[in-house]
Amino acid sequence: MPSIRLPLAAAALALAATSAGAQQLAPSPTLDAIKARGHLECGVHLGLPGFSFANDRGEWSGIDVDYCRALAAAILGDATKVKFTPTSVQQRWPVLQSGQVDLLSRNTTITFSRNATLGVNFQGINFYEGQTFVVRKGTATVPKDLDGASVCVAAGSTEEKNAADWAKENGIKISIINFQKNDDAIAAYDSGRCDAYTAGIGALAGQRIKLKDPDNNIVMTETISNDPQGPTTRWGDERYQLVVRWVLNGMIAAEALGVTSKNVDEMKAKSQNAEVRRLLGVEGGFGAMMGLSNDWMYNAIKQVGNYGESYERTVGMGSPLKLARGKNELWTKGGLLFTPPFQ
Amino acid sequence: MSRELSQGLVPIGGATAEIASDGRLTILPDARDGGLARRLRQPHALAKRLFGTPSDAAITLVCAALLAWAAVPLLRWTILDATFTGTTRNDCTGTGACWVFIRARFGQFMYGFYPAGERWRVDLAGVILLVASGLIAWPGLPRRRLAALLALVVLPPLGTWLLYGGLGLRIVETREWGGLMLTAFLSIYAAIIAVPLGILLALGRASRLPVIRLISTVFIEFWRGVPIIAVIFLASLLLPLILPNGAGIDRLARAVIGLGLCIAAYMAEAVRGGLQAIPPGQAEAASALGLGYWRTTGLIVLPQALRISLPALTNEFIALVKNTSLVLIVSIFDLLGIAQAALADPAWVGKTWEAYAFAGFIYWLACFGLSRWSRRIELKAARISH
Repeated sequence: MPSIRLPLAAAALALAATSAGAQQLAPSPTLDAIKARGHLECGVHLGLPGFSFANDRGEWSGIDVDYCRALAAAILGDATKVKFTPTSVQQRWPVLQSGQVDLLSRNTTITFSRNATLGVNFQGINFYEGQTFVVRKGTATVPKDLDGASVCVAAGSTEEKNAADWAKENGIKISIINFQKNDDAIAAYDSGRCDAYTAGIGALAGQRIKLKDPDNNIVMTETISNDPQGPTTRWGDERYQLVVRWVLNGMIAAEALGVTSKNVDEMKAKSQNAEVRRLLGVEGGFGAMMGLSNDWMYNAIKQVGNYGESYERTVGMGSPLKLARGKNELWTKGGLLFTPPFQ
Repeated sequence: MSRELSQGLVPIGGATAEIASDGRLTILPDARDGGLARRLRQPHALAKRLFGTPSDAAITLVCAALLAWAAVPLLRWTILDATFTGTTRNDCTGTGACWVFIRARFGQFMYGFYPAGERWRVDLAGVILLVASGLIAWPGLPRRRLAALLALVVLPPLGTWLLYGGLGLRIVETREWGGLMLTAFLSIYAAIIAVPLGILLALGRASRLPVIRLISTVFIEFWRGVPIIAVIFLASLLLPLILPNGAGIDRLARAVIGLGLCIAAYMAEAVRGGLQAIPPGQAEAASALGLGYWRTTGLIVLPQALRISLPALTNEFIALVKNTSLVLIVSIFDLLGIAQAALADPAWVGKTWEAYAFAGFIYWLACFGLSRWSRRIELKAARISH
């Protein structure tokens, strides 16, 4: 019966057309919402030197903040179109789960149980955090040099337990000197009562500046614990997760490929490297595959910079924290930063 | 029973009043009022007080030594060895406090992240508040009661409009608010909720109607029993999880309402204390004159009860001002929060003492000012009833 067959055929045709479209672009309520409201909502730490803090002019800065700006540049073409919600330790998960922010970019360790039970996904690593030591210059460079050294810690802290376990495992003798509070332990280290003080890299970077003679102290880059951190999203909305993951990858790739905020225009115009051309949207149409402009990474790099630029500016040598790259260096240069290829 | 209680000497604020058996109030001359100034004018009497007996002399000397022990280093740190001029951390060369930090951050300490070009709105709101409260406190103002009522109705929405914007003003989201301005906003708006609600709850608890009494009692006991920090936390985090899509009320508004409800319960108990001090004979006399419940309450009972509970209410308000700093756990940057946030800037890391000393000083100034102001009102109220 042609009267039935005709609409059926039309329906089949329409279905084929939409499924072809769907193959290219899955629905993404989060990206749609970000575009509709015109800004990204980013949850950051309340205040952590180098990672997330407000400067004298009231602008948020730091390595975690930079990532949010890059993401805003990739999605909306403008790194300033992001609003920050400072989050405390207690409220970070509810704020993300209830949809008050589009993502968390704050120091939060990526763990299996969080991934499996909290309804959140970790989209990559933008900082390899871990426990390490601050020592006086010239006395030690890696944790294993500390054999026979005394270490100041706050009694009963996780750091104390980690340090003791690590020493036992590695057959190293360290004498742990306990203090009631962290501040007392640092003060004791500063006055020379112990050879080292231990905490996470990020925390030590901030505490080093508070010492009487910061330049005479160094924070070790090798760690004795493993606390990787990175941007975190809710479960669901795969296309949005794709964007969050690949903007971080793109910042790392840009550094590996030598694309910086300074030379990005030149690279875009002249580079013959196929991966650079795909990254900057000259060929491949990668942005369009995620429902973004093909300029997505060009905008992010132009306005925020590659990973290395962001690192040096916020926590590295261009900042008061003066943290060496350590593990947060490209895999080609002895670090752990790695990105799958832009192919 | 309460008639007996209400006779005799009762303290009203700083003064003492004698209530005669007929209910008349006589304010006794207060020796303490202006006491220090008078004592300083009589050095002999002062010396006698301080060194009258050997034990008095010993106590005086120990206190003076303690004071000197604490005051000298404090003075050196805060003023003598402190750095006042400069713009960056490198200018902090003195061994004392580095007030350069506070100078560089002063705008944030006062206004948070409120856009610099719009800060006049906060200033204007502050000036309006001060002028209005000054006018209402001025006895010469014609139709004062009406003016006060009008101010209560008009000023809160006007303040919200000035600070938040809309209707011609640029909208400044509450996440950009912060510092002293936010502390003041939280305290004042929570009090605007708490005082009327507290009075109603106190009346409800003293009501003859069992249902109203029950509701008021349950409300008061619930909110008094829950820690304020838990209320703020729940209001800020659980509500958005329950409400669809995280939409709904602004998070600052949620914190204000949570704080207001908690403090209302405390204020209700303060007012109840005042209500119980009014002899029932007064209400009976009022109804004998043909006054109904509301007129008896409004004209006879409440004015006296509020006067009596004023010190307790001020106490609650000062506690509220300081409790506002609890909003830090939901990442609202009040005065204390903005001080802590400033410490996270690598440019100023380690200036902990300066940040907390400054924030503490502002809190103290605000609370001390409030307590002096309330004492003046108490004295004036006592004089009026005289």
